[in-house]
Parts: sequence; structure tokens; C-alpha cells
Amino acid sequence: MKKQLTRILTVTLISAIAWSCNQSDPAPKGTYVQGVFVINEGNFSQNNGNISFLAREKNIADSDIFSIVNGSSLKGGMQGYAVAGDHGLILVDNSSPGSDKVEIVDANMFTTTGSIGAPDIENPREVVAIGSNKAYVSNWGILNSDYSYPAGYVAVIDLATKKVVKKITTDKGPENLVLHNDKVFVGDYAYSGGKVLTVINTTTDAVTKSISFSAAPNPIGIDANGKLWVQAGLDLIRLNPDTYDIESTLKISTDMSKSAGNFAMSPDLRTIYFVLSYSDANYVSHGETYKFTITDTAVNLAAPFAKRLFSGLSVDPRQGLIYAGVTPSYTQSGYAIRYRADGTLVDSVKVGIAPTGFYFR
Amino acid sequence: MLINRQIFRRLFLSALPLLAVAENVVAQKDSISLSPVTVYGFVPEKFMSGLKIQKIDSVTLEQFRFRNIGDLLSLNTPVIFKNYGPGQLSTVAFRGTSSNHTAVLWNGLNINLPTLGQTDFSTIPVVGFDQLSVQYGSSASVVGTDAVGGSILLGSSKPQAGLQVMVGRQQESFRNSQTQATIKYGTRLNNNWNFSGKTAAYDGSMNNKYRHPERNGEAISPSTTLQKGLVQDLFFSNNKHELSAHVWLTDNKLTNNPENLAGRQMTRIKSYRTMFRYQFEGWTVRTSWIRDIIDYAVGDYSTLDHAVTDRYGIRGERTFEWKVEKSGSTIQMQTGGEFTHYKTQVENYERPVITENRSDFFLLTRWQTTPRLLISANLRQAFVTGYNAPFTPSLGAEYRITRNLPYTVKLRGSVGRSYRVPTLNERYWKDLGNPNIKPENGFNKELGAEGGYILNKIHSFTANLTAYHNRIDNWAYWNPANNFRVENLQLVTARGVEMQLGWKGNWEVWKFGSTLNYAFTKTSQEKIFDAYASDIVGKQLPHIPLHTGNVTTFMQYKSIRLTNQLQIISKRYTTADHSQSAPAYLLENLIVETNFNRPHFGALLQGRINNVSNTFYQTINGNPLPGRSFAISLLLSAKTIR
Repeated sequence: MKKQLTRILTVTLISAIAWSCNQSDPAPKGTYVQGVFVINEGNFSQNNGNISFLAREKNIADSDIFSIVNGSSLKGGMQGYAVAGDHGLILVDNSSPGSDKVEIVDANMFTTTGSIGAPDIENPREVVAIGSNKAYVSNWGILNSDYSYPAGYVAVIDLATKKVVKKITTDKGPENLVLHNDKVFVGDYAYSGGKVLTVINTTTDAVTKSISFSAAPNPIGIDANGKLWVQAGLDLIRLNPDTYDIESTLKISTDMSKSAGNFAMSPDLRTIYFVLSYSDANYVSHGETYKFTITDTAVNLAAPFAKRLFSGLSVDPRQGLIYAGVTPSYTQSGYAIRYRADGTLVDSVKVGIAPTGFYFR
Repeated sequence: MLINRQIFRRLFLSALPLLAVAENVVAQKDSISLSPVTVYGFVPEKFMSGLKIQKIDSVTLEQFRFRNIGDLLSLNTPVIFKNYGPGQLSTVAFRGTSSNHTAVLWNGLNINLPTLGQTDFSTIPVVGFDQLSVQYGSSASVVGTDAVGGSILLGSSKPQAGLQVMVGRQQESFRNSQTQATIKYGTRLNNNWNFSGKTAAYDGSMNNKYRHPERNGEAISPSTTLQKGLVQDLFFSNNKHELSAHVWLTDNKLTNNPENLAGRQMTRIKSYRTMFRYQFEGWTVRTSWIRDIIDYAVGDYSTLDHAVTDRYGIRGERTFEWKVEKSGSTIQMQTGGEFTHYKTQVENYERPVITENRSDFFLLTRWQTTPRLLISANLRQAFVTGYNAPFTPSLGAEYRITRNLPYTVKLRGSVGRSYRVPTLNERYWKDLGNPNIKPENGFNKELGAEGGYILNKIHSFTANLTAYHNRIDNWAYWNPANNFRVENLQLVTARGVEMQLGWKGNWEVWKFGSTLNYAFTKTSQEKIFDAYASDIVGKQLPHIPLHTGNVTTFMQYKSIRLTNQLQIISKRYTTADHSQSAPAYLLENLIVETNFNRPHFGALLQGRINNVSNTFYQTINGNPLPGRSFAISLLLSAKTIR
């Protein structure tokens, strides 16, 4: 406690000094203004996920920055992090139903400023900022007793009041969120049984379109040509985000034992990275990481980007380095491996348990 | 059941040299008398010489009458419990091993849930049994599977003649209560036969209605537990025969998040345990049937995840005793076998109904060579359908350094192999289970000394020191690096030191006493099996503290007794690479008791403060445990005078 207090005081003091020295500069101050936030999911039953912080020029990460700043842990698995204005939103999934929450922090200091829990938040999955005062959080809701998925929802969070102002019902198992102009595309979790991509208008907070797919749709992002990429099973689908017309479909592989995941777009929005994996007879996961460009007609499976699979994959829009999460097991720390775009290794940084995502500021 | 001939041969071939040695010794003495003896008592503790056995005294059992066995053991032994909350799952870590490595025996019968290979100690209240011993270290050669870290031995006692009725109730904070009633009876049926028995029933409800549901700003995870049980023991005996029947029915219903109708979680464990025993001139035959039912549901309870496992067992054994007349040396041998048929129906298993047979053959020997030296040699071979259990021998010895002095010193040592039959979940769980799992292979060595010193009529002291080394290869576990599929990757070495010190001071109306237990436990994974194992290898296993201790001190004036219980647990790592941990804590409880005794009636009143200092401590999954709480209990008894 004393250590934490000292740390908080030091952080506050340094910030105060920095502030007083440079009052003319309107740029935000704080330890966490710029850098990489690693979302460490943790071991589900132990509720021990956390967020590590890595300054881009360093190769040692600060582990569990929420505990360092606030003196208590987040008490759950980490599902996502995003910044909206000065607010950071952390998605916390506790193993006990009714204990999930969205923890809201000061984005620069990481001090807690509020929390939204059940029944507004149940099994939160992903978060996306809609401007600086609003955020969308996809929620599975509480699973049925036979572990099947009910219809989920997107919780609309007003950051001024720190309240959920609306729940927008979606398909089963809503997962990835992609923002494009005044639209959010809501995908489904691969094993949820949901097959509908839901389109929400961010001005009216209402569903404007539901697009059906043959498998759970996973929106990846908007490319350099303004097209939406969606993965459904082993298909990569290019979609016009305004007319919703499917423009092309690209087959990743015909081997149905494989599954694709962890899609990430390069900063120039022309290259997409992903992991293709399978389980062997002993249920050991194997796989490789591939990349393709938005003009390719096929994924070149003969030349993987990296000959291993990752539990998380993202590209830093500032530097273009690829951040790949490694989970050796759920009872020990994982690693964030950094690659250059040409596939050469930069370094490997120890982070928390099960790194599944990265947020760049 | 097809017995592997080679293994069968090996068992008896290995037994041969031992028998030969025994015969030689006997032959030299020339005159021997061979007589069958009846060994009463359920567990062959007498064949565990060289191992440390701690018998929990009746005063302690009485003091914990309204609590569960986990509370008793954590305050009186160095056994660690991994606790999920009040009234919730509580599993054991004995001498640095996993919760699958402790055998729990009820009247000699292993009652670990066969699907899980462990016991939830929150479902075992102290009122359910009459005797409790804790046996430290591997004793698989005597006990069988699971006895790797140690064994918890529960037993029924034969009631005395007459009638005794006891009724009791405990009322606790958080609207928790326990009610129990016991009737013991014994009578002479005719000139030869005696009959006695016990009927006990208990009913507990833990509502856990916390006035302050948060501690240090963190919510105590809500749960309720309803617990019911019925115990029935019947004994018919004459001077040569004893026939007994034992029944123990338990029903434990735990609900997590009871208020959240969509997210509530119910785990109900019902166990029906029954046993017949017949003893006649050195022969003992036992039949048993246990049914364990586990029901689990989330939110909607209309469809339960239902798992039923039946175990039908028969066991026969014969005890011999040779008295070597001139030397005073005696040899006791117990040999026998056990056969159990398992039938399990678990929804997530690879087949809807799975059956398997397990049998065990054993030969136990106890040789009191001289009044000072006692040697035990035990052999066991288990046979399990589709699985090769290792041959399990052990050798132990005890040597009394002093005799007929005010102080006693005894040295003991033991070496033994241990094994664990994989749990049904480990073998048959769809996808994650591994039918080809290899047997674990444990080897335990230990050395100890124990002593007693009676200084004068007032003061007496006891001391006990043990060091052990237990190496378990092919340790099977749900590998967190491989989607939690069962694998035998680990080699775990557990080593440590245990110390126990006791003092009693008996003045005329004042009595004082104190017992201190301390254990140092170093247990770690030693084998590198993947690229990232170097972050784990050699580090203390998660959730097992390096240091544990407890101190019980009492002060008694006439019939008023004040007891202070302290428990100290050092820092525990919660991840294998030590990146996260839970801090050390100290818990203190205070108990005040008074009793009232008349020839026909008695009353025992107890008041207790749990967690006196309001210590903040956490469950194994990081939730806070309750702060200070109170309990008051009253036990009334009436009996006939013979």
C-alpha cells in the first residue's frame, strides 16, 4: 500500500511539475498518454486479467497498471479496452454472473472515475468509441443454462453521466465492432450460432440493417478503398458498407478443420494479417499467421508471415509494427512479440496472462 | 476381470524374500505359536509404522462439533485448504500435493468422489464421524489409490451399553445455523450377543446474509449452502464375531449468486455410503455400495447436468499373528484383496455409461522385533480396467530410544511408492479427458522423531519433527498450456519439514495447554516440457504457501474453558510463474465454553468469535472472505446410568 501510495504520489508529483513547467501546452498529461495497452485476458476462473502498458521505445512492460494506480485489481477477465475522449473503458468479465462491469478510467492517468455493472453489462466483449462522449459495448448477456447463446445487445454508454442509456438488441453472441462514419457493424462470436451482421446507426442508436451470412460474420475493418471486410468461416468477404452489396469473396482455405481468427489491418489499410489454426488429434492447437493484401485474389498459404499462432494480433497504426500475443498457458505470463511488416522479429516483451488484444495511443 | 499374470507373479515373488526372512528369524527361535487375531478398528493404522499419524483428540472433535472438517484440520494440522468461500468448495493440498493426492477414508473405504478424485471438505461436517486421524505422507501400500500426500481417516466408534441422546444447535452470524441430534444405544441381547448403535442426523443452512456484503470495497461473492445428513451405525458382537452395518447419507446443495435468477449456479452433491462388515477370528469381510450424485445447473434449474457414479465393493482380509515366545517378538500379517465395480453416467463423458473394475491385493506386515524396534513392510498391487497401476511397496520402521523413563523418544522412518488411479473425468471426459493417461509414479521418503516429557505432576510436553521428500513423476493434470487437456507432463517434487510442539499444565482447578504446528512446504514442477516452461520450473506451485502454522492455546478454570486459535498462512502465488500472488494473513478465533454435568444430564455451551481481528483475506479465486463473525451453540445430552 505504501509503495502504491508512493507511486501515486510520484506520478501525481511528476505530472504536477510537468504541468507547471509547461502550462502553455494544451496536450494531455499523464503516464499513459502515449503507448501500447496490452489486454491480458487472464485465467477465467481466477478473475486475474489485467492491462499492461508498454511505452513504444521500451522492451519492459508495466504490468497491471490499474492496480498500480488504483491500489486494487479489476477482478475479472479482460475483454477489451478503448479510449473515448478523456475516458478509458475497460471491459471486465468476472466468472460469477452479475459481477461483470465496464470500468471507466481517466485515459491519461488510469485513475478510476466510475463503473457500470449488471444488469446493464453482462458478458461484455468488445468496445468502440463513438466520438469523445459515447461508446458502444457488445454484450452476450447471460448464457442459457445449456450454454447456448441468447440474443445479445450493444450497450450504449453516455460517458458524461457514465450510464448505459440504451441496449440495442442484436443477433446471438455479438462480438467485434467496426465503426465507419455514422455506422457500427456488429459481428457474432464464431461459436455463438449467430449468423447476422447487425448495422447500427450511431446517431439514432437503432439497428438499420441486418445482413445474413452462411457462418458467424466477423467484421475486420474498412480498407483503403472504403470497403468493409468481413470474415465468415473460411470466407473473406468484401462488402460495400453503404449499399451492403457483396463485391467479392475470397476463400482462405478449403480445409474445414482449420479456423481463421485474430484479424488485423495494417496502417495503410491495404494489408490484413490473421491466424489460421487447427487442433490435432490430441487437441493441441497448431497454426500459422498469414497476411494478404486487399487486391489479392487468394491467400498465399505457402508463405506464412510467421510460422506460429498467436492469441492476439494487432498492428500499431503509428509505427506499423505487428504486435502478437503469446499465451504459453493460462497459469503463467504471456509475451507480446513485435514484428516488422517484413516479418523480421523486433523483440519479445513479457506481459500478463493470455494477451489477446492491444490498444494503441 | 483379467489379471495380468506377470504382475500377479511379481507381487508374490517380491513378497517371497520377505516371508523367507521372517521364517528364518522364526525358525531360529525354534518355538512359535501361530494364532489368528481379530484386528478391530477400520483402518490398518498399525501397519503404518514409520509414518506420522496424528490422532485428533475427542476434546477437539467436540469443540468443532458444529463445523466442517476443513475448519478443524486447518486449525490443527498443517494441511492446506483451497477454499472458494464460506460453505463453498474446499479442496485439500496435503504436503504440497494436489487435491487429487489425499485419500479420504470412511471406515477404511475411500470416499473421494470418483469422477473428481477428491473430496469437497465443505460437505463433511465433524458430526458425521466419531474418530479422526490424519496420516502424513504416502501410504498407498496400505490405503491404496490417492494416498500420495497423506490420508484423512474417518471412523465410527462402537457405542457403549446404555442409552444416550444428544441434541444441539448452533446459531451463527449471517443467519447461518446447524442443528443435530444423535442417539447412541447399546444392550446385551442374550448371554453371548451384544447390540449397539448410533443414529445421528444433522441439518445446516448457510444463508450468508452479510450485513456488509463488501470488504475493502470488494464484494463478497454471495452463496447459500444447505446441508443434510444421516449417520447410522449398528454393531452386533459376541466374543468371536462382530457384524456391523454403516450408512452415511449426505446431501449438500450450494447455490452461487442465488439472487441472480439468470446467473445463479447450483451444485448439489448427494452421497449414499453404505457398508457391511463381518469379522470372525482374524477374517474380515466387507461389502460396500456408494452412490455419488452431482447435479449442476446455471440459471434455469429445469434441466440439470446430472452425473451418477456407483461403486460396489467387496473386500476380504485375513490377519495372522506369530508370537516368537522367547524373544517376545511378534509378527502380524494382514493379507487380502478388494474388488470394486464402478458404473458412471456423466453427460460429458465419451460414452453414456462407463463401467470399470478395480481390484487390489495387499500384504501388510508388522514385526515388533524387539520392544524397541518395530518394522512394517507392505505390498500392494492394484488392477484397473484399461490402466496399469504400479506395484506399490513400502517399508517403515520405528525405534524407541528410551523406555521406562519420564521422557520418551521415538525415531521413525519410511520409504514407499505411491500411485493414483486417474479420476474418471481425467480418463473419460469428452475431448479433454485422456484415456491413454499414464499412471503417476510417486516415491516418498521421510524421517521423523517424536518425544514426550513428563516434567512433574503438572507439566508435560510433546514434540514431533518430520522431514520428507516426495517425488511424483508423470503427475497428471489439466494442462493449461493445451486447452486444459489431461496430460502427464509434470514431475513434481514436494519436500518439507513439519514440527509440532505441545505443552499441558494441570493445576488443581486451573488447566493450561498449547499446541503449535508449523510446516515448511517447498513444492515445485521440475520438468521442462515446452519453450515457456522455464518461467515455471523450480518455482513453488500456485496456491501452496511456503510457511503455514497454527497455535491453539487454552485456559481452563473448573468447567470454563477459553481457547484461542491462531492460523498463519504465508504469501501464496496464484500463478505458476509467480507473476501474481495473494498476501500472507493471520486469522484468530476465540472460543469460550462451559459445561454442566449431572449423572443423567449434561449441557455444553459454546460461544465463538471467528476472525477476531477482522483480517482481510481471500478465497482461491480472489474474492474476499467474511470478516468478524459470531457463533453460539448449545448441546444437551441425557443418558441412562448403567
